[in-house]
Amino acid sequence: MLPEQFSSLEPFAGVWAFPTELQRSQQRWVATAEEYREFYEAMLPLLDEVLVYLDQYQPGATPESVLPLYHLALAFAEAAPHNELYDCSNTVPNSFDAHRFVAAHGENLDR
Amino acid sequence: MAASADQVRQAMPFTTRYPELGTGPVDVRPMIDPELFEQERERIFGQAWLYVARAEELAEPGDYKLRRLDVANTSVIIVRDKSGEIHAFHNICTHRGNKLIPEQDAQSLGRAETHSFTCRFHAWTFNTDGTLRGVARQESFADLDKSCLGLKRIHCAEWEGFIFINLAEQPRQNLVDYLDGMAGHFAGYPYHEATLRFRYSAVLNCNWKVALYAFSEAYHVPTIHKGTFPSLAKLEHTEIKCFGPHSTSGIYVPPVPGLEPTPVTANLGGRLRTSERHRPHLELLPENINRDKRGDFQFEFPVFFPNFLLHLGAGNGYPGMAYFTHQFWPISVDSTLWEGTNFFRPPETVSERIAIAHINALHRNAWLEDTSTMEDTYQALASGVLEDMVLMDEELMIRNTHKHWHDYMGI
Repeated sequence: MLPEQFSSLEPFAGVWAFPTELQRSQQRWVATAEEYREFYEAMLPLLDEVLVYLDQYQPGATPESVLPLYHLALAFAEAAPHNELYDCSNTVPNSFDAHRFVAAHGENLDR
Repeated sequence: MAASADQVRQAMPFTTRYPELGTGPVDVRPMIDPELFEQERERIFGQAWLYVARAEELAEPGDYKLRRLDVANTSVIIVRDKSGEIHAFHNICTHRGNKLIPEQDAQSLGRAETHSFTCRFHAWTFNTDGTLRGVARQESFADLDKSCLGLKRIHCAEWEGFIFINLAEQPRQNLVDYLDGMAGHFAGYPYHEATLRFRYSAVLNCNWKVALYAFSEAYHVPTIHKGTFPSLAKLEHTEIKCFGPHSTSGIYVPPVPGLEPTPVTANLGGRLRTSERHRPHLELLPENINRDKRGDFQFEFPVFFPNFLLHLGAGNGYPGMAYFTHQFWPISVDSTLWEGTNFFRPPETVSERIAIAHINALHRNAWLEDTSTMEDTYQALASGVLEDMVLMDEELMIRNTHKHWHDYMGI
């Protein structure tokens, strides 16, 4: 569940708000152009407000109940280039196979 | 009509500065010949200093890094001992040769809690300074001299927090001499402050030099990166200098009129550009990097022979990104482990963390564009149809690497 003032984003949380970069990437790789568009249009107007809300907490100290919003914001930061640069394609045009590209830093970075 | 000497100097300012590197095509065989690959193991990777770890990865006594080195058929333990000194050892128990630490991946970090490593085969225990601490049922070995059975040591040295190893019995040069002019050129930047690391890796089905050379020039940028970085169309790749087998250069991007950053990049990148911690810190660059203090400086773009790139941007090129590195680790003649790492100062706020995720994602996507040609290039070269490659002026760093490759190989 997202904080109440972000209830309009709730439908996107179930689709995009994953705790690990790999899980979020797996969603990016399968999302349709329509899904990219809807996520972007819903999220962009609220971006500043979401970041103000998240900045109540220190990095690494986001409470459990706020983590879905944090993960949604990370997913948006990672997905937005598909809207802004790749015409809502779920791949980077003319690129290497993203599935073979491993985020080797692991997941201890993210909370 | 032949070009005048002045015209040549103008069109090829770097090639004409290094006449010893020549202007002719370079041979393709070093990239596709399996016999030459076997010789590279000893003559290149057995002789050169190899970057293997950042000091921050081994922040505390007992911290270690395990690094797989397929090219030398070994894995290496780099560890900070109880007194704070860093050592490198072959990852092999001196009893019967088991791997002292099981490998999890090409590289992994760990902590030797009691400042020791215990082999899981027969429980031989070694101190983090390499000495053999304990042998189970020692009395049952005839004349066991523990002082001769320490871990097999590898030469190891640190420069600016970059830890290098040298697999030679006796390295020809110490690390700083080996780094030549690069040691001073890159010295003094606070690399140690950029402790947030995003590392990506991929096994590329190509020779390691195909990957290295693709990252040694910026001639490809307007074509390969027109998707992720349309602003780079007018990129300038300049100030190319050679220091022995190494070389370096500067990347500048004059602003393109009418090309505004996209909304999310303007928002998130803008947060980093205006934060005191993450803003461009051109004043921290070593004095010979961006000497003219140009605001459109992107990053310094070098090749540390044989397989290490250190792209120093000080938060200017990619917002907030202090520097990024590449390495190309040979697995076989036609297989290479590529590793790319983005280094940021750690965020002070969650919104900075999210902004960093965006910049990191953009750069990761650019790397997906970079790596898209390498397997095609290798497969085509492996046909043997092309015997050599012609190089333009800004591909001079390839020319320099290639010449010194020949020198190391003695061919």
